[in-house]
Amino acid sequence: MTAPSDEAAAAAAPAPPSPPVPAPGSAPPRSPAAEPDGDGDTPLPAPPPPPPAGPSQAARPAGPPATLDPAFVTDATVTVQRASVWFGHKVALTELSCSFGPGVTGLLGPNGAGKTTLMRAVVGLLPLNEGTVRVLGHDPHRNRDVQRSLAMVPEDEAVPPALTARQLVRYTAALHRVADREAPDRCLGTVGLLDVADRRVGGFSKGMRQRAKIAAALVAEPRVLVLDEPLNGADPVQRVALIDLFRALGDQGRTVIVSSHVLHEVERLASRQIVVVRGRLAAAGQHHAIRDALADRPRSVLVRTPGARELAARLVGLDVVRGVTVDGQSVVVSSLRAGELAALLPRVAREADARLLDVRPLDDSLESVFRELLR
Amino acid sequence: MTVTPTAPGAGATPPPRPPAPAGSAARPLPSPFVALVGYTLRGCLPARRWWGVLLPCLGAVLFGWLGTLADTTPQRVFAFVAEQGLFGLVLPLTCLIIGDAVLGADLRAGTFSFTWLSPVRFPTIVLARWLGGWLVALVTLVPALVLATLVAGVPEGAGPMAIAAVSASAAYLGLFVMIGAMARRSAVWSLAVVFLGERLLGGVLSGIAQISPMWEAQQVYAGLVDTGGARLVRDGTPNGWSAVVRLATILVITLVLASWRLGRLKPTAGDE
Repeated sequence: MTAPSDEAAAAAAPAPPSPPVPAPGSAPPRSPAAEPDGDGDTPLPAPPPPPPAGPSQAARPAGPPATLDPAFVTDATVTVQRASVWFGHKVALTELSCSFGPGVTGLLGPNGAGKTTLMRAVVGLLPLNEGTVRVLGHDPHRNRDVQRSLAMVPEDEAVPPALTARQLVRYTAALHRVADREAPDRCLGTVGLLDVADRRVGGFSKGMRQRAKIAAALVAEPRVLVLDEPLNGADPVQRVALIDLFRALGDQGRTVIVSSHVLHEVERLASRQIVVVRGRLAAAGQHHAIRDALADRPRSVLVRTPGARELAARLVGLDVVRGVTVDGQSVVVSSLRAGELAALLPRVAREADARLLDVRPLDDSLESVFRELLR
Repeated sequence: MTVTPTAPGAGATPPPRPPAPAGSAARPLPSPFVALVGYTLRGCLPARRWWGVLLPCLGAVLFGWLGTLADTTPQRVFAFVAEQGLFGLVLPLTCLIIGDAVLGADLRAGTFSFTWLSPVRFPTIVLARWLGGWLVALVTLVPALVLATLVAGVPEGAGPMAIAAVSASAAYLGLFVMIGAMARRSAVWSLAVVFLGERLLGGVLSGIAQISPMWEAQQVYAGLVDTGGARLVRDGTPNGWSAVVRLATILVITLVLASWRLGRLKPTAGDE
């Protein structure tokens, strides 16, 4: 094929914008009221999101009404408002506001960003120093009843070593008054541990422990499931299966909050992401949309072609191109307007008689989004 | 669970429905309280802890045997043995090992979150954990102390010793469960309470002795049996059945405080 591939070029184009996102690297978007006050000293805190459902609405998911703020969803089951947590002098969360609704939401951030703190606050294990968390309209730290609808798989490997996997899941089931006596074994089967259900979890590998905890979390059929690095220790086959499982849970209408360092898995897993950096909300929405919001930063597109030099020579003359790097058959094009570049690339390739072997964005992954947000 | 099963290893293909459960899986699920007591016995007290419990119990029997070596009346000798060895050492140490296991160690290990993340009320959790520990004390410590009395040749002291051991272990376990809920280094704090608070301060201050399971256990025994002239009863401290009531009061107060504290707890992860 000598003609440039329009399809390949189109692949380089950014995804169509989906939900709007906040300015990257910033705290939750501010209303005019959040601008520095009249004295010009300390800015007022970010505005609170719309209030959650009141007591009379406790039966249905609490959450703000339809809003353009991508940190919030309209059908929220979990609402976090101005959450601040500190441990002595160390601040873990700073006025973080967001909400989670049915489906899978990825919680992203570097180590120490505050992801685990946020997750522990959501399930009530950690009281907030300031702000509020509401799960289905209730405070999970004070209201024990809301724990019926909640489950968490913590990141740490702590499991009661003397219990077998079956005993652990049955224990959790009994505490939640699960009526179905077969539920524990069904959940163990779901995570592939039924064959070793009578082995002590203390002798399990890390991945098996994680799966035992997942089975224990699933047994009460929680409406809100919080998974802190649930894929840790899982082998590649297990990862695929667990990702499918979490997606199935999200598709059932459960609220699944998943944190992970394996960003490409989060891309597969979660349609929506919340990015936390240094205890603050850095971005929210679909990762393509987050990436698009970083429009003031150049985006890179890799083009593989035998006529790399000829193509590069023509590309450098284009307004939309900020820089071109040639390495053998590869051309890396940097542009602020990736959409226009994608439209122009086939024509330029034809003019340069360069056959396009591969065209793909280099920085459309979550990892690159992450790097950008951390700058 | 109504989730489409996707067992790892099977990829995205749903595996066949698991076979019909057998053995323990076929049993109905217990009530939360029974499950909590069962967890306390199985999960909180692994084999190593059981050895830690049984060793001081063995020591108690040895203390009883030592009482037969002295050249005086068995009642008098055993009264001293009971004061120093059984009530002063075996009883608090055994209860500390059990009491720390049922809550403090679970919290330190990070495994308490399995219990905390449930709709079960905190008083139920505390009561079940305490009961699990007390059951262990009833089948290990109490028989050991009674056996020590018999070995020492004081069969008339077996009943009072059993009453003292049952009531004091209940109060001690309440105390250690409370410390487990309040302090991260609960074992260290428990040791400090026993040896600095009860033995050292309680030895000179009757005000401390009045709220000390160690001293009150001794008063239960001393008030219910003839100690052969050995003066174990402390002035200003209830003895006999009054001491049992005092121990029950200590138990109730400590369990209430533990429940209150559990509601304000921040259960940590195991690696924190």
